[in-house]
Order: sequence, then structure tokens, then C-alpha cells
Amino acid sequence: MVARMIKTKKVDNRPLTLLERLYFTEIAAGMLVTLKHFFRNLFKPSNIVTVNYPEDRIPLPGNARLRTRHRLKLRADGTPKCVACYMCQTACPAYCIDITAGEYSDGNPVEKYPVGFDIDLSRCVMCGMCVEACPEDAIAMDTGEIPGGALTRDEMFMTKRDLLRNLPGEPSLLGASNRLHNEWDGTRVKKK
Amino acid sequence: MKLKIDGKETQVQPGTSILGAAQAMGVLIPRYCYHPSLSVAGNCRICLVEIEGAPKLVTACSTPCAEGMSVLTTSEKVRAARRDVLEFLLINHPLDCPICDQAGECGLQDYYMEHGLHKSRFPQADKVRRHKRRDVGKYLVLDNERCILCTRCVRFCEEVTKTGELCVRERGDRSYIDLKPGSRLDNDYSLNIADICPVGAFTSADFRFKKRVWFLERTASVCAGCATGCPIEVHHRDNIVYRLMPRPEEGFPAWLCDEGRMTCKSLRAPGRPAAAFCEEGNLKPAAGLRFAASRLGKLKPEQVAIFGSPFMSLEDNLALAELAAAIGTKNFCLHFSTEPGIKDGILKNTDHSPNSRGLALIHAVYGGYTREQFSERLASGEVRFVLGRNEEVKAALAAAKTDIPSSVFSFSDEPAPGRACVLPAASHFESDCLFINYAGRLRRARAAVKAPEGVLPVWQAADRIASMLGAPIRLETRAAVLERLKAKIPELAAAPLSDDKAEFELK
Ligand code: SF4
Ligand code: SF4
Ligand code: SF4
Ligand code: SF4
Ligand code: FES
Repeated sequence: MVARMIKTKKVDNRPLTLLERLYFTEIAAGMLVTLKHFFRNLFKPSNIVTVNYPEDRIPLPGNARLRTRHRLKLRADGTPKCVACYMCQTACPAYCIDITAGEYSDGNPVEKYPVGFDIDLSRCVMCGMCVEACPEDAIAMDTGEIPGGALTRDEMFMTKRDLLRNLPGEPSLLGASNRLHNEWDGTRVKKK
Repeated sequence: MKLKIDGKETQVQPGTSILGAAQAMGVLIPRYCYHPSLSVAGNCRICLVEIEGAPKLVTACSTPCAEGMSVLTTSEKVRAARRDVLEFLLINHPLDCPICDQAGECGLQDYYMEHGLHKSRFPQADKVRRHKRRDVGKYLVLDNERCILCTRCVRFCEEVTKTGELCVRERGDRSYIDLKPGSRLDNDYSLNIADICPVGAFTSADFRFKKRVWFLERTASVCAGCATGCPIEVHHRDNIVYRLMPRPEEGFPAWLCDEGRMTCKSLRAPGRPAAAFCEEGNLKPAAGLRFAASRLGKLKPEQVAIFGSPFMSLEDNLALAELAAAIGTKNFCLHFSTEPGIKDGILKNTDHSPNSRGLALIHAVYGGYTREQFSERLASGEVRFVLGRNEEVKAALAAAKTDIPSSVFSFSDEPAPGRACVLPAASHFESDCLFINYAGRLRRARAAVKAPEGVLPVWQAADRIASMLGAPIRLETRAAVLERLKAKIPELAAAPLSDDKAEFELK
């Protein structure tokens, strides 16, 4: 199984012929390839295979193994699912997460929430440990955006506001504290 | 009395519990309700051990050793019992670890990882729900869902503070910890309950959500809240002190008073000066010292008064005494009269200063006025400038009903007297320093965090001022100060001042 997946290619390491050793023919052949591409792109630009990254981007395939820029998931009422437990900050090998915890003042039974949640993407190594560590299913790396291509360091610094976002089909209801919150939210709605 | 624990012979005094005997051998038997400073309750059952020949497992905390007993603490039966007890305790336990301040130092988490590791057989929806986030006292938050009913908190209030605010209500799986009617947990030692609660039921309201405990760094130090000088551990991170915890030391109980724990608050009090503040406005701390020196330099020696304080360390008071000698003034006071003693029978001293014994030693060598005489000197009108600690200079000026200019060392956000130049000073959390407590024991405070830039301890500031005046006292380094202390104070001549570990007690 494994053997079939690995394709091997034999490289022919024969010595150079005289013509090749003179280089001139090889340089001319190389120029020919360059010129061919130049004229083809000139007359038919839609054929160009590269894009002007970061202004233009190729959409990424949806893939469970793909790790892209982080986001913080939201509950139904728009509060972050994150409970500021610091598990992600503890697990992060790049020390790029910085959380400030606070206490809900509106009687929310989850008690704790992140007042601040910063990720310095310029230090992040995209390892996904934070997602792995989160007990509340609150952080995800599925925005489909590849961080990078920024002109300043500040652009790579994500604050809570940049991170909070639900994707279509959400909010998800997973997470122990989330359950508490949903119950409470239900009673609140009934009272209203 | 001889017995065997896990096959190893040991000898104990009659009356020792199995748990105590095992601990002396280095075998740690898990425990929740047992606390060395409280009575034995034997209700949590996590400490079950097997005695060869006995029909049932017994609780190690409440069973005394018997001659020839052979105890097994790791047999299959014992391990199964621990796992089951733990599962029992966790049946109604909420899934709160992510928001629980106890996480990281929680008995349930620790023993679950060590002995449990079972899958939960109880659905979350069936758990008994109880009152959460209860405001039970000034410093405490109670979460009844997390409680395992070990009754440590109840026993603490009964036996240590003898105030008895807590009780267990109801029976069976309905039982919960509650305040007795009409009472609140506001005794002077209430925060110890957060420490002894093995789970996150009682947590500190002050430390709440401030930091995860595994991020904290620890520095062994002493409390300067009163003359008892309790051993503390300063928990800090990124130059912020988050909490003070008791540290075990021979001769001290495992408690701290609430007031002592809150002494770290003054460090980051919004009004605490980080710059010198004079008539000219804000100055860098070094410029503030220069300003004080220029003031001093313009006056005759007898117009200057220097005021030592029992709230400052040995080093600080020695440097001030030396400064007075170098200037050549007779107007200095290193005196403080007090009646120390532990009136409540636990910890809190009637003498609120950490170093009155130390000050007395320096007073005995350097002399100077008593407080009453000093007050008269200030009132006499001859003195034109005072140097000392903010709070005391203020009180002395008020008592003498004068308003002479002063330079005051400020450790906190306490406002300064009207005509004072405030000099910020590094506190005992920010510099290594020595105190002598009411019983004559040498207490070592160690720097846990850094003082704001340029802010010096008082002894260093006094040394700088002396140099600027052209009357150097040569106390540039702490080693020099300690040498001088040993050379000048006969009682400290043999004291191991620079050996950070050594204990010392005055005769
Ligand atoms: S992906 Fe890895 S490096 Fe980046 S924030 Fe998460 S844990 Fe840290
Ligand atoms: S691990 Fe999850 S819940 Fe915890 S702080 Fe990080 S994002 Fe928030
Ligand atoms: S008491 Fe311990 S086990 Fe219970 S929620 Fe708190 S940290 Fe978790
Ligand atoms: S509140 Fe804490 S100390 Fe008190 S009985 Fe419950 S678990 Fe024990
Ligand atoms: S520690 Fe022995 S029964 Fe609780």
C-alpha cells in the first residue's frame, strides 16, 4: 500500500556531451523556453499560472487537514464560546496567544469570558495545537485564509474583534460551558 | 512501635496514624478531608489502605498504627477502592475545570490523573445542580457544585478561628455547605479556606480569573504585615504579584491572615509613585534624590532631622542611622515603643510593624531621640527639614503641629504631607531585605519583582544622598550593608546574614 503511493523516478546521471559542455546551445535552449512563455503570456494572459499574491489568491480546497487563519466561534447570542481557560495559550509552542480573562456581569452562568484574546500570527507556526487543546470547541483554524503577505507586523496581530466569527451553519452547540449557557439563554428568552 | 508499610519496616510513636507513618517514610497516601492542622474527620474515604488480615479496607488518616501491622498502600484492592471513591466524588461534580480557578492545583484533577482515569458513567444532564458563584464573604466565592463535602472549611472555622460560620446542611446527595443563618465569612483568616479547600469550591475573590496557577512563579519571602513575620510564598508573573500564599516553616502554622495577604495590593495601587514628586513637579527618582541632597546641603546639620521606622528593614534603618552620623545631626530618631503579642491566639500581632525588634537593635547602638523627644524637637522650630518614611513623617508632623519641609520615602499610595518631596522607594517585594520579628527571629524578604525603573530601596537611596552631600557612608552594595550590620550591631555579629538559607534567632 505504502509502496504504491510513493512514486520513484530514476535520474540519469550520464556525463555531459561536448555540445552540452560548451553551454551555448543550452543557454539558447533555455532562452527559447523563456521567450515561448513570454510571448504566450503576452498574447493570452488568461493562461498565466501564477497569481499576484497577496492581492489575488487561489481559493483553497475545503479540506479537514487544512489549517488556516484562526477564528473564535460564537454562541447563538453572539458571545464568544471561549471561556478564557488558557488551555490554548498553555499549549501554544510559539507563545503567540495572549488572553485576558474577565467575569460576566450579566449573570451568565459560564462566569468567565475573554476580555482580550490576541494571536500574533507573525509568530504563529500554524501547528493547530490551540485547536487541539480547546475544551470548549471555541477556537478553529478553518477560515480558509492563509495568514501572511502583510506589509506591517501590526496587520498580522489578531485581536478578539478580528477573531470572532461564525461560519455558515453555526453556531455549534458543543462544549460543557456552552451547554450551561444555552440553558440560561433559553430561560432568558422565555422571560422576555 | 514497629509496623510494615508496603513491606518496609518502620518505627513510630504510639498513636500515629497510618497516613502519618507512611508520610514519614515518603509514601504519600491520597487525602481530601485530612489536614495536618485540623481534626481528623475520615469522611472522604480516598485514603483507604489494606491491612493484611483485616476484613475490610481502612481509612489511613483515622486508623492508628498497631504493633506488627502490615499495611499495603498500592495493592490492587486499594487502587480499585481509590478509583471507585474518586468516581463517586465525581458523579455530581460539574465539568467546570476550564473556568475553575483551582485547576492546576486541584485535588480532583491530580488524583484523577494518578488513580482514576476512568470514563464517566454519568451523563452530564443527570448531575445534581447546586448554587454557584455565591458571595459568602469579602474575600471568598463559594461554588456548591464543586464541593466534595470534606468539611475542611467547616472544621477550620470551628477549630482555628473558632468563629463557626459554616455548616453542612441536608443529608445524602442533597447536602451542601452553607453559612449559618445571619453570618458571613468575614473572619480575619477567611482566605485560608480557599487554600485548604482541596477543590475549587471555595476560591479567592481577589485572585479570581487573574491568572492560571501554572503560569505563576514562586519566590519564598516573608510577610511584612505585622511583627509576626509569617513565611510566605510570593506568586508572581511578568513583574506582577498575583497572590501571597503561606509557606511551611518550622514554628509557624500553615495559615496567613487576610490582611497580610492583601499587603501586595499596595505595589500596584494606582496612586503609588514611580517618580519623585517635588515642588518642581515630577522628577526621575535619581533627580529626586539629588533634589533632597541639595535641600539637605543648604542646611546646618542641626537643622536636619532623620526618622527611622519599624516598617522599614534593618538595611534601611542602618543606612539612615549612618546618614545621620555622616551629616552630624543629633536630630534623629530610631525609636519605637510597642507591645507585641499575638492576641487572637493565631497569628495577628498587636504590633503592626514588621521590624520593631530590628529597629530597637539599631537604636541601642546609634542612640538618638525617643519618639516623644523627637516630636518636641520637631515642634521646637529649630528643625527645618525631615527625612523619613512617608506615613510616619506625616504622623510626626501632625503630632508636632508643624509643617516643615520634608523628603519622604513612599512605598504605597498613601498621600504625602503638604510640603514634602516624595521619593519612591522599593518595597520588600522588590528588594532583598531583613526584618526581625517580635520573637527575635531573623526574617528574610526576597525580591520577587523588579521595582519601577530607577526606584531604589531606602538604604541605597540614603547612600546616594550621603555621597551627593560629600559625606559618603559607603553602603553601595547590599553585601556592604550586611557587613556593616554585623560590624556595628553586636547582637548580629554572629548572624549568618548573607547566607540566604540560614536561620537565626536573637538570644
Ligand atoms: S497554531 Fe500553534 S503556534 Fe499558532 S496559535 Fe495555535 S498553538 Fe500557537
Ligand atoms: S482553549 Fe478554547 S476556551 Fe480555552 S482559552 Fe483557548 S479558545 Fe478559549
Ligand atoms: S474543582 Fe477541580 S475538578 Fe472541579 S472544576 Fe475545579 S479544577 Fe475541575
Ligand atoms: S467547600 Fe471545600 S473545604 Fe469545604 S467541604 Fe467543600 S470541598 Fe471541603
Ligand atoms: S483523608 Fe482519610 S477519609 Fe479523608
